[in-house]
Amino acid sequence: MGHGVEWLESPRRDEEAELPEYWAFAGRTATGNRQGSAEGSQSGIPAGADKDLNLSPRGATLAYDSELLSAIRRDAVNDVSTTRYKWVGTRPIRPDGVPKVTGRAMYGADQTFPGALYGKVIRSPHAHARIRSIDTSKAAALPGVKAVITGADFPDHKFEYIGPERVAVNFWHVTRNVMAKEKTLYEGHAVAAIAATSKEIAEEAADLLKIDYEVLPHVIDVDDAMKDNAPLLFDDMITRGVEPTPTKPSNISKRLEFAIGDLDKGFAEADVIVEKEFKTAAVHQGYIEPHATIARVDADGQAEVWASSQGHFVVRALTAKLLNLPIGDVRVTPAEIGGGFGGKTVVYLEPVATLLAKKTGRPVKIVMSRDEVFKASGPTSGASMWVKIGVKKDGTITAADGVFKYQAGAFPGSPVMNGCLCAFAPYEVANARAVGYDVVCNRPKSAAYRAPGSPISAFAVESVLDICAKKIGMDPIELRLKNAAKAGTTMIYGPKLAHGGYIETLEALKSHPAWKAPLGPNQGRGVASGYWFNGGGESSATVQVNADGTILVATGSVDVGGSRASMAIMAAETFGVDYQNVRAIVADTASVGYTHVTGGSRVTFATGTAVVNAARKAIDDLRARAAMIWDVPVDGVIWEEGCAKPASSNVGDFKPMPLKEIAAKAAQTGGPITAAASVNAGGQAPGFASQFCDVEVDPETGKVTILRFVAAQDVGTAIHPSYVEGQIQGGVVQGIGWALNEEYIYDKNGRLDNAGFLDYRCPVASDLPMIEALLVEVPNPAHPFGAKGVGEVNICPPMAAIANAIDHAIGRRLTELPMSPPRIRAALDLPEAAD
Amino acid sequence: MSDRWPKPETPPVMPAVPAAPAHVTLSSGFSRRYTGGRREFDIVATSLRGVIRALDAMYPGLGEHLEEETTVAIDGAIHDAPGYFQQLQPGSEVFFIPKLEGG
Repeated sequence: MGHGVEWLESPRRDEEAELPEYWAFAGRTATGNRQGSAEGSQSGIPAGADKDLNLSPRGATLAYDSELLSAIRRDAVNDVSTTRYKWVGTRPIRPDGVPKVTGRAMYGADQTFPGALYGKVIRSPHAHARIRSIDTSKAAALPGVKAVITGADFPDHKFEYIGPERVAVNFWHVTRNVMAKEKTLYEGHAVAAIAATSKEIAEEAADLLKIDYEVLPHVIDVDDAMKDNAPLLFDDMITRGVEPTPTKPSNISKRLEFAIGDLDKGFAEADVIVEKEFKTAAVHQGYIEPHATIARVDADGQAEVWASSQGHFVVRALTAKLLNLPIGDVRVTPAEIGGGFGGKTVVYLEPVATLLAKKTGRPVKIVMSRDEVFKASGPTSGASMWVKIGVKKDGTITAADGVFKYQAGAFPGSPVMNGCLCAFAPYEVANARAVGYDVVCNRPKSAAYRAPGSPISAFAVESVLDICAKKIGMDPIELRLKNAAKAGTTMIYGPKLAHGGYIETLEALKSHPAWKAPLGPNQGRGVASGYWFNGGGESSATVQVNADGTILVATGSVDVGGSRASMAIMAAETFGVDYQNVRAIVADTASVGYTHVTGGSRVTFATGTAVVNAARKAIDDLRARAAMIWDVPVDGVIWEEGCAKPASSNVGDFKPMPLKEIAAKAAQTGGPITAAASVNAGGQAPGFASQFCDVEVDPETGKVTILRFVAAQDVGTAIHPSYVEGQIQGGVVQGIGWALNEEYIYDKNGRLDNAGFLDYRCPVASDLPMIEALLVEVPNPAHPFGAKGVGEVNICPPMAAIANAIDHAIGRRLTELPMSPPRIRAALDLPEAAD
Repeated sequence: MSDRWPKPETPPVMPAVPAAPAHVTLSSGFSRRYTGGRREFDIVATSLRGVIRALDAMYPGLGEHLEEETTVAIDGAIHDAPGYFQQLQPGSEVFFIPKLEGG
């Protein structure tokens, strides 16, 4: 893209002289800032200590990056982590690397068994239709067909919302999403499934199915779905959360409201009030690996399932529930996972394959095509929003209000609650309100997607804040700093924030030399922030000390983002042994205790805590074994640097006994040395991210090129910094896709027009600059090593950061995603308007 | 950790004895459904179990709803699921908020 040194040296835009500092970029040169960073460092780390930094391949043109990053990292990883720890904060080789690059890794579709049948799901061609009848007789009679099932073969479930409020699972809905019963509610909705001896026979049988549909009017857009005359997906859906209870059904499943303070008073205090409407498109998580499963049910009713998912315990629970099986009769083995991003926390195929296996007595394998992935697995919601924010001239936010309407897809359960809770969360706002609507429409049921709900509302809020900053002539980072939430800030959902970290991300951006670097023609710079709760909860781990002193760590967390390496690092650190002596694996549901999904940025925090606790239990056992060998009381033995040592000279004159020596005497001292630990981990700290980007807009084509992307995030303690940087880079890239290109496009019949990666345009490496990940470490005291979740919050800021940069470049405020070339061109055809 | 384990100076963990009651707040939706709109309570308890028991005594059945449907913030620190083992300090602020789920 040729935007290196020459880009930094390009002349400033003409209008900049008339604008305040940020808007004019009248700031320092890169060199000046570099010197400032170096002088500010107190680390004393010798030259070359940052040689392992993950630098831009364009390092030659971003020469200052090395020193800047090293300054931050010196304050962060090097000082906080590696000087305190031997392994935490280092970047050892990933244990899953060799199987993945040599093709040995077993993904969902790779598992098979002798005699396995081919399973095929037959899907609705209609966006909305009543199923009058399904005649399976001819299909079932075809030689080679072993079973045909429809929704009638699945047990029904009571209509009730149970469990967590956001996802308030209603199994009456869940079972109908797995297999339609009365109606099909979106194109691609499963209506039947076939098990046959070959793919060809299954496809021939599909053609023999006679399905009589009554096609009904459909509704795709969330605003249309909320209209009084909209086609209803459910004739009896009464909006929850409204008083008095409505008497008329609608597509609005639920209304939510969160508020603090006095909005009228707050807006009355404002010098400037900005309000705007926004729309975002439904986007898919875009994981490379399609959903895949194979299941078998033995004659004694014991079911085994192999599946690619973000949580095999949840696959077990949902499969058992939907088929009315005891949980103990279902064993689920996790496959290697080729991406999930929230979309593999639910089930689609597993209950279908298990039921077909039960009926046929043979293993049944089902693999989704890419077309099915797009049409029948959950994207995240598209949304329609309105946000209003009032600020004083000094930048103080006096009030913030927002209405957030999220598509749930065919069944209730969009992440709108999260969107409401996170919308204003980075800021201390005394008077705020967030109103949310969960709205069903004829799209696939939405599923979680990376910080579900938060990126959507952040797009609106962070765009409005940018307009506010411009109107009062304030640097947008300074505006955010002025209002930044910190420990003690009252959140819109009630409690005070227990943990900060946001300010540090803004400071990291502010001190980045490129923040004040000049821009060229048609180029602009935008900043935005984001908030995500991060998760904790239930996790389990076991450790086994082998006879040769090596250690096996087994957890129930599917490794999506490098958790095997992180678990091995934390175990090695706790035991005081080398990382190379620890092997971490993901165990099946029969081999380790219950562990909640790999989602919500919870694994390093919660499962990591379980691993450390299990290791500590094993260490207590190792101390007891050493005490037995030395014939002294156990209290006289301590554990230090991987060895048992006498607590004092009074205990005796014993040389430190390494773990390996104790392990070799396991039989003599009581048998195998193992330990298990389970936790319900709490006290996780939230995630804050702040990012800025530079874009260039081609005025002829409307194409937006990302020239630079700088992403700062509070990561607690980076257990394996390369993986943390990878999470940040991945989240940003998905955000760039969401911002610029990705969208579900429907035709007039409610059929998806772009169900494939050729037409659903995810960003690829050639579209992107190197994403600069700035690790800001504010350790979380509730974790043994200070870890926080790092996987999600990074996707919250990019859409607004890019919209703000586009506005800066061309003077046009884009309020609808994606900001694709046609929309940019259309905006350029309109006169530049004041915000 | 490669430092000494167990730490010799580690004091025994004792349950906190509150000098002041915990201030407990429910979400508006929750209070609308289960407590006739009452959102705030002052409850003397040393652990979250005590809070849940007290609320369940006032509104029979509420305890199970709290355990199954909420995330709890104790002095601002978020816990995905209310656990009996979570300790309270004198004057702790306890918020039961809608359950959070991630991606």
